[in-house]
Amino acid sequence: MSGRIRIGLLLAAVALVPVLHAHEPATQAAPPALPGDSLYQLDVMLQGADGVSFPLAQLRGRPLLVTMFYGHCSAVCPMLTAQVQRLVGTLSVAQRRQLRVLMVSFDSALDTPQALREFQAEHHIHDPNWITARAGAADVRALAAALGIQYRELPDHTFNHSTLISVADREGTVRARTSELNGADPPFMAAVRAQLAPRPRSVAP
Amino acid sequence: MLALLLAGTAAAGERRAVGPSEFVSVLPTGTKAPAVHVERFLMDSRPVTNAEFLAFVAAHPQWRRGSIAKLFADGDYLSHWAGAETLGASALPQQPVTRVSWYAARAYCEASGARLPSWYEWELAAAADESVPDARHDAQWQARILDWYAQPLHALPASGSGPANFYGLRDLHGLVWEWVEDFNALIVSGDSREQGDPDRLRFCGAGALSLRDRENYAVLMRVAFLSSLEARSTAHSLGFRCAAQAPP
Repeated sequence: MSGRIRIGLLLAAVALVPVLHAHEPATQAAPPALPGDSLYQLDVMLQGADGVSFPLAQLRGRPLLVTMFYGHCSAVCPMLTAQVQRLVGTLSVAQRRQLRVLMVSFDSALDTPQALREFQAEHHIHDPNWITARAGAADVRALAAALGIQYRELPDHTFNHSTLISVADREGTVRARTSELNGADPPFMAAVRAQLAPRPRSVAP
Repeated sequence: MLALLLAGTAAAGERRAVGPSEFVSVLPTGTKAPAVHVERFLMDSRPVTNAEFLAFVAAHPQWRRGSIAKLFADGDYLSHWAGAETLGASALPQQPVTRVSWYAARAYCEASGARLPSWYEWELAAAADESVPDARHDAQWQARILDWYAQPLHALPASGSGPANFYGLRDLHGLVWEWVEDFNALIVSGDSREQGDPDRLRFCGAGALSLRDRENYAVLMRVAFLSSLEARSTAHSLGFRCAAQAPP
């Protein structure tokens, strides 16, 4: 399994080489395969609702809509989930197929794969491109830090957290962020659509 | 100069035990119980030095200036060092290392089998003066710390040259700001906006800290500073020390 994935990543990397060269500044002699500001620089392991563990970097290759939440949150999180659904809902089916959505839980103790499946069912999330996942405490902290998301666990085991949705390009570089929880959010969706534009993409950041 | 730098400095790698404690933090708990439980832990007796960080980047080249990924540090990372593996005149070996990002500080601690302290751990350790574990209501002690914040920053003294506190820890105040593991847990709400809808939406749940009308101003300045940082941020006066689990 992991061997196959690795080969897949390698092929993807090879396919991207010309594109990368076209975008790298000329001063850099040997550009690294992965951009320095890519989220996939993070050594973070996720566990999905199906119980399978995978490195975050495995999501490389497709644009990513990413946010963080926790399942038993009764305050803003349902709005956050609804907002992601609203945003994704403005895309065509073909566009949606190009995109991955990732929601990572702050609560690795309670958001077990079983709980994540229940969360998905409760919110009618059946799209296989929509991933809910948990991670170890140190990895959650590292990912939140990269996404600019603040969170703190309170003694009653709720989480105080900021609500931020980011879109990363195929290589994992965050292109836009929003904390808007209402409406269609046209500026953010313009940035999302820019990542979905048919190849070759030539979108200025 | 050398004698001055070495006088009173704690030995490298020395860790002191702190806690356990039922600790009332400046951070609101969001519940009726004001205290949080902090397990017993070990903490470096002083901030990590340039010499120690140099040894780390020599062994882990991906954290060298010039090699570090942009996600993990801004452009000023270790910019006062003479070179990627050279300290030079602006970064003396015994001075605390500064201009390090959260990711780099974290990687350093991890490489030594440790971790960054949590905010609660740092705040608990820093509540002590030289003789008592909680000096936070001592007006004289508060004044002494605030005095440091008022001083313009010249050359940094050697790490560990300050007096040892109740736990044997030095320079928690008076030398540099320090990273904590959960720096991005320090959610600070603006003063008047707190009652309005925008913040309610921006932050899910209770527990955002208001910086108004608080007694422990020096610690709140730390919170305000840390909460303003990104994980890749570096600053001239921002360093770190490591912590570890206490043996059972």
